[in-house]
Amino acid sequence: MKVDPSVKERIERLIVDSAMFIDRDELDAWIACFEQEARYVVLPRENRELDLPVGIIHCENRARLEDRIVCLRHANKYNPHYDRHIVSLPRILALDGDVASVETNFMVVQTDKTGESRLFCAGVYEDRIRLGDEGARFVERIAVVDTFAVPTLMATPV
Amino acid sequence: MSREEPIWERADYSKVPYQLYHDPEIYRREQERIFRGPAWSVLGLEAEIPNPGDYRIAYAGDLPIVFNRDRDGRINAFVNRCAHRGSEVVREPRGNVKDFTCIYHAWCYSAQGDLVGVPFVRGVRGQGGMPADFRMADHGLRTLRVATFNGLIFGTFHEAAEPLEQYLGSLMVENVGEILARPIRLLGYQRQRIHANWKMYLENVRDAYHASLLHEFNRTFGLSRLTQTSGGYMDERHRHAMLFQFKGSDAEDAARKAYSDGQVQRGEYMTLRDESLVAAITENRTGVSTRIISIFPNAVVHQIANCLGLRRVRTRGPAELEIEFVLFGYQDDDEAMTAHRINQANMVGPAGLISMEDGEALERVQRATRPDPSGAGIIEMGGKGPLMNLDTRVNEMPVRGFWSYYSELMGIEPEGAQR
Repeated sequence: MKVDPSVKERIERLIVDSAMFIDRDELDAWIACFEQEARYVVLPRENRELDLPVGIIHCENRARLEDRIVCLRHANKYNPHYDRHIVSLPRILALDGDVASVETNFMVVQTDKTGESRLFCAGVYEDRIRLGDEGARFVERIAVVDTFAVPTLMATPV
Repeated sequence: MSREEPIWERADYSKVPYQLYHDPEIYRREQERIFRGPAWSVLGLEAEIPNPGDYRIAYAGDLPIVFNRDRDGRINAFVNRCAHRGSEVVREPRGNVKDFTCIYHAWCYSAQGDLVGVPFVRGVRGQGGMPADFRMADHGLRTLRVATFNGLIFGTFHEAAEPLEQYLGSLMVENVGEILARPIRLLGYQRQRIHANWKMYLENVRDAYHASLLHEFNRTFGLSRLTQTSGGYMDERHRHAMLFQFKGSDAEDAARKAYSDGQVQRGEYMTLRDESLVAAITENRTGVSTRIISIFPNAVVHQIANCLGLRRVRTRGPAELEIEFVLFGYQDDDEAMTAHRINQANMVGPAGLISMEDGEALERVQRATRPDPSGAGIIEMGGKGPLMNLDTRVNEMPVRGFWSYYSELMGIEPEGAQR
């Protein structure tokens, strides 16, 4: 759909910035990309096709998302690695008031601490983004993953 | 496995030779003697094939198996390999069909696996076609014996396999039976591929000791602590196991002190903004809050607070396994309970707050033991010698139980072996 270039630019910046925050391990900045009531789900594509609700990660609000990150920082042990997100240009599907519905393809390449890279995940972000006065924020992000047979484990969000 | 020396150094399986995780000949033999042997493998849940014509692919070891519900409502299972040239017959992981037709030469099979159609079997205009002695009845798909227990579907290749409930034993019948006593509702799948030998995972789910040490989340929120009323029990033959505990059965301060004195807890205890993630709503008679129930050789049924699931383990060669988590609730759950179970599914699967660590730990063992597999791991927590149930999780006894039945099926029992 046709949208104002400034709207398009704000959406693109949120998508690119949020991906970069994960890659830089700046997860507090990543969480700040979400509204308080925002929903974040990593959904296996097979569950989407079967209309089943369980996610690989499933946070119904930002408090739960923050809990996830606290656990990641203080409790979980996982494979030390670097993430690298590659995102496509966002496809803006609809603009309803100040909320845009957007789809963006993504891939995550993981590199271990010996310098070996592998494709970790491919999928599509299905986002609802509020273009508020303080900036663009996610109201909902569903990362539908094609790579639902997750290699090793998924610690950092995608 | 061409060796003169016995595999096991000790008859009680308290030292596990690392070669068991890496030797391709051992892997080949496991497929033959365990997954195509007298064990009952878990194929899936009846709830996955509710309607006539529904089918699904599962695995017995690494062998793809199709299980389905036919027009009469009966459940059948067969190897997904055409009797003609060995092609996979079913190409989608699940579906609903009238019959099964191989794409290669369009040979067609019934839901029971009988060959019912061979194109041009008598040739064209008197030429070609199958020889006169070709009989369709001789070329069905390779079928498995199927049995169900409370909606859980099992298959075996052995005509002489013992009756399913006897194979399961009273501990499994009671606990798996209780979790599956009400009609279930599927909530979704999670899959994880771990680059480690499949047996490491089946040891892991029988290893009561690691749960609060590796999984700090368990310890912090009291879901599993070595200070709780807990234990590791096995069936009479010690092949299956159940690790369990009662959340809230230890005092918070005493538990924290025990882990702190044990040099385990470093730094501060974290807190959650939303405690519902770790809330256990009692749904069973005894109030047990976690049960990790391992069914030999390939499955786990778990209850972690209100997160319920089946885990299917698929072997993918000596160095890789896939765990498929099938999460479910009950058909009569209200909306709030369903939401609670979906939230608690965050604890399991590849991103599970108390399971992701297993992927990391197992791969580390795989990597460190492969270059020189001549050593052995020690399994002495809970004691050596006879296999027994213990009312503590400072205990690795069920891991030895696994090796005991494994070795019996593999024909590698040491002299004077514990059973």
